[in-house]
Amino acid sequence: MKKISLGSGSGYWGEPLDLTKELAERADLDYIGLELLAELSMSILQGWKTKDPSKGYVPDLLEQLRLILPYTSKKGTKIITNGGGTNPKQAAEEVAKLIKELHLPPMKIGIIEGEDFYHQIDNMLSKGIELVNLDTGERDIRVIRDKIVAAHAYVGSELIIEALKQGADMVISGRVSDNALYVGPIMYEFGLSFENPDWEKIGAAITIGHIIECGEAVTGGLSNFWKSNKEPWNMGMPIAEVSETLEEAIITKTPKSGGQMTVNTVKEHLVYETHDPRNYLMPDGVADLTTLKLEQVGEDRVRVTNMKGGKKRPDTLKCQVGYEESWMATSEVILAWPEAITKAKFYEQIVRERFKKYRIEPLEIRFDWIGINGAHGAVAPMPEDEDSVNEILVRCAAKFKDKAEANQARRFCMMGSLVLAPIGLTHGMPSPSRRVIGLWPTLIPREEIKLSLTMRDVK
Amino acid sequence: MKRKVQLRDLAWARSGDKGEISDLGIMPFNETNYEILKREVTPEKVKAFFKENVKGAVEVYWMDNLPAIKVVMHNALGGGATKTLRWDETGKAMATAILRMEVEVD
Repeated sequence: MKKISLGSGSGYWGEPLDLTKELAERADLDYIGLELLAELSMSILQGWKTKDPSKGYVPDLLEQLRLILPYTSKKGTKIITNGGGTNPKQAAEEVAKLIKELHLPPMKIGIIEGEDFYHQIDNMLSKGIELVNLDTGERDIRVIRDKIVAAHAYVGSELIIEALKQGADMVISGRVSDNALYVGPIMYEFGLSFENPDWEKIGAAITIGHIIECGEAVTGGLSNFWKSNKEPWNMGMPIAEVSETLEEAIITKTPKSGGQMTVNTVKEHLVYETHDPRNYLMPDGVADLTTLKLEQVGEDRVRVTNMKGGKKRPDTLKCQVGYEESWMATSEVILAWPEAITKAKFYEQIVRERFKKYRIEPLEIRFDWIGINGAHGAVAPMPEDEDSVNEILVRCAAKFKDKAEANQARRFCMMGSLVLAPIGLTHGMPSPSRRVIGLWPTLIPREEIKLSLTMRDVK
Repeated sequence: MKRKVQLRDLAWARSGDKGEISDLGIMPFNETNYEILKREVTPEKVKAFFKENVKGAVEVYWMDNLPAIKVVMHNALGGGATKTLRWDETGKAMATAILRMEVEVD
């Protein structure tokens, strides 16, 4: 029976480069996925591209490829990435230069574009397509129309499959779903298609993709089981060994690496960011995560069986529309024993009075006491005796209508300076104010997005 | 006799985000604890527990196969990671927070 192996070389923008390199170096893989986009990323990258048309891809992609291409080109490992961001063509241009610089053999790159619908928004609205905000239920996107900076659909694996059919050694895309980086090669290798779809098997492929797509988040990162991690300073990246029938997959990790791959770490990932587990919706289909079985079959080897799907892929695609919402400023002041809590309250009062004096009304403001309730907010119990509190870092965060007001607030009202604070201390320079990009998640009919594939030969 | 324990005595938890949705998984140490969680971890109790941290609807799903309880909380992150003023922008600490929740056991 045919088997393929897929590794996750990157689970996020910022992935430590050594983990990516060690995966490519030590594992014999058919595919490596390089996942580089989070919800905010496309808005950031679009901003870069607007300033400079030769930017807009994730710079980490080139750093990762520089380290892994010498191994992958020797081993015949194909690379699938969404690190092209808002500029996959330019990313491919830079990759071509890198291939030549490293004197690597010729490669074929598939470039996927077209999930950017910024310029189609008005046309969609005039056709009566409502871009309802999935978070808030707001129906009319016109309230933010003038502030929109980016609009992208999360697309599936159709053109990844097509690029592989046309002989691609590497596929560079933009906002392809993280999941599709793995579903694409699984469907291509095992002859699955959307023309004659087997939704059960596609559901299994989605499940496998989900388990490995976030890198070390399944190998013992972000884990309740951190104490049993072996060498967490040498974390391994996840690998899936998938059989053709999709009746089982073995989940393992970079050979000779740290971290751990256990039934429990896989469980942690199956309950992570999946919403309704019976209907884990992806652009390629629907996975039912409530039937599968996990079994430890060796050290750092977990077998997954009975993976199900069954429902056809959604008729709509999830999208993120990014818009300029406001400006944020933060400040920090540290208040020490004695009476740290009383001082923290007093400090808050001072800041609020300063706002009044400057006639600044923050759109939103909050004070957190780091060390007391910074992580758990309203759920954190207060110390019964403030004498037991050694110190509190008061973090004030506030949003303002524009940059000028945010800067004024930061300079004159929020600074934990010696003058404003009760007896305490300040440290370093407060962070500069920053623009807040809001996200408007929405759905659009699948047929509104027309993707294109360009094949590029690098000789 | 009934007594109260914290979830930390019964289960592990992991949380993440999608936009303004906080997505929480609670994994019991064993099948006995899973039965307790099924009884005790209800949308109403979770919403009441999180107070102003969670402003929207709460859904609870059972995953008998793992076993685990999935909790999906809407309007739960102060606007979502990009907009929130909270220190825990992506709600990763929602997992450790829920371990404080008290439930009744025999």
